[in-house]
Amino acid sequence: MDILQSVLYGFQVAMEPINLVYCFFGVLIGTLVGVLPGLGPPAAIALLLPSTLKATPVSAIIMLAGIYYGAMYGGSTTSILVNIPGEASSVVTCLDGHQMAKKGRAGPALGIAAFGSFIAGTFAVVMLTLIGPLLAGIALRFGPPEFFGLMLVGIVVLTFLSSGSMLKALMMAAVGLTLSGIGMDSITGKYRFTFNIRSLLDGVGLIPTVMGLFGVSEVLMNLETGIKREILRAKVKNFFPTLKDWAASIGSIVRGTILGFFLGIVPGGGAIIASFASYAIEKKASKHPEEFGTGAIQGVAGPEAANNAAAGSSFISLLTLGIPANAVMAIFLGALMIHGVQPGPLLMTRAPDIFWGTIVSMYIGNGMLLILNLPLIPLWVMVLRIPYYLLYPLILLFCIIGSYSIGNNTSDVFAMLTFGIAGYLMKKFRYEAPALILGLVLGGELEASLRQSLMMSQGDFSIFITRPITLGFLIIAVMLLVLPVITRRRSLSTLKE
Amino acid sequence: MRNADRISGIFWLCFALLFIAKSYQLGPGTLRQPGPGFLFLWINIALGMMSLSVLIRGWLGKKSEESAVFGRQNLTRVIFVLISLFLYVLLLEILGFILTTLLLLIFLLGIIEKKGWFFAVSVSAVVTAIAYLVFEVWLMSQLPKGFGGI
Repeated sequence: MDILQSVLYGFQVAMEPINLVYCFFGVLIGTLVGVLPGLGPPAAIALLLPSTLKATPVSAIIMLAGIYYGAMYGGSTTSILVNIPGEASSVVTCLDGHQMAKKGRAGPALGIAAFGSFIAGTFAVVMLTLIGPLLAGIALRFGPPEFFGLMLVGIVVLTFLSSGSMLKALMMAAVGLTLSGIGMDSITGKYRFTFNIRSLLDGVGLIPTVMGLFGVSEVLMNLETGIKREILRAKVKNFFPTLKDWAASIGSIVRGTILGFFLGIVPGGGAIIASFASYAIEKKASKHPEEFGTGAIQGVAGPEAANNAAAGSSFISLLTLGIPANAVMAIFLGALMIHGVQPGPLLMTRAPDIFWGTIVSMYIGNGMLLILNLPLIPLWVMVLRIPYYLLYPLILLFCIIGSYSIGNNTSDVFAMLTFGIAGYLMKKFRYEAPALILGLVLGGELEASLRQSLMMSQGDFSIFITRPITLGFLIIAVMLLVLPVITRRRSLSTLKE
Repeated sequence: MRNADRISGIFWLCFALLFIAKSYQLGPGTLRQPGPGFLFLWINIALGMMSLSVLIRGWLGKKSEESAVFGRQNLTRVIFVLISLFLYVLLLEILGFILTTLLLLIFLLGIIEKKGWFFAVSVSAVVTAIAYLVFEVWLMSQLPKGFGGI
């Protein structure tokens, strides 16, 4: 009963005209971002964050959320039509989606991707509605040691699931944590690691870091390697999958949805991992695995459902525990804090409008996407014809204006460009940026909870093993670090290549 | 990845050593009363050890057939774009948003991409105007103004 009332309240909030408008723009921009290669959801959200500062927190979060799940829809369009993944979680959609398009079945491919996404996205939101309050209730009993353990698990899982070397991902998490220490120490008031540079007194800003690591570095990479694209000239028709298509793909959609949902909840998981894992499972489950890669509709339906379910469920740990599950959620955490909202178990009682309003707006947004997207596909194909030499100056300009408008000074812009170069070099030397971002975001809380725990126990480390929940988290973290589960990781990474 | 691992291993090792020293200066405190350098001392000790193993891996690893980290061809393009961006930021508060943006776009389209002067100038003018309208007028972003208030 309680939940029903809360959902109704959420509808009240989300249906306010201004919030509907923000939701609409969110999913529209999200789809656009998904369509455009070289501009992923993290960079886009960071880019648009400054422009939401004048909106109310609810409207701002609704729009930013729309960008994220909207991008999941948009990414599949370009994967299918031009064999270019608009963002990373649509990489696998290329494999069979584009083959379907080549065989003249672009319509059904786009259709099943959209419907699969809709089903998965809606399922994730319904589950978020049901599980969210439960999880928040449990988390209310968490003390500093439990939060420390949870954050540690988050970092380890992200590094464990990273596509490259786990060692290097762990190193990046350590670097991120170190960067989070720059600025004033909240407990003693001492300044740390500022190296007498004035702009470091306030610490390392999340927005310039993300824009640099994900936006600018991507442009630099593309400038070096060059982007080639061939546009499918054929007409796209018959979006509605036939009964035969549905029969073939409904199982994949269900499996993808459930898999994606669970991978999205786990800190460190998320849409990218979910789509790869789903493709692997579909190939294993199929009676005709040899058809995969030649235009099997299951290879489109499963991963597309999985990445949308994961995008939805990754909100769970952020909204109920205050722990971001991936890089995008890390930016969300930053966005919420900039708007003066502290996510965590208390969010639901302290700011129910934000919690329920955002969740319900996702139902509405998913509906908007389904209605919007299919008719707009010709428009997205046109957008794709914008040549890259026009696109990249625009992306760079956006990044500069975005980081300038955070504090109206150029030091944030310099920081962003510096991180742009760092991100470019990190890509070159195969170090992964998401782990760094997660470290940077969690650093403050992780340090506070560690120091508080040690003060609680008067310097006794056994506080981390005598409390059952904390012990559980630590065991998971150690297992992931130590156990040679290399075989699974190897199969995942070969698939990614 | 041999060379790449050696270079990056040394870099992160230096990074870790610097922060170990700084954390030690800040004061790690005691276990009962952890100080401001406590967490970072231990994290960077861990980072240092991990960098060492990357470094060692780079040294012991087999010679691989992988190509050099930087392809020579387009590297100059990347460097020129980067320089233009840094110049842009330096000039932004002196010349103002409109003029600096116009110059940057003309440079990128006209010189880096060699798209012809008429094209470069006209597209740059249109993009600058749209960016100004969207950010300054619509989103009220308070973009920097140069001399003469533009």
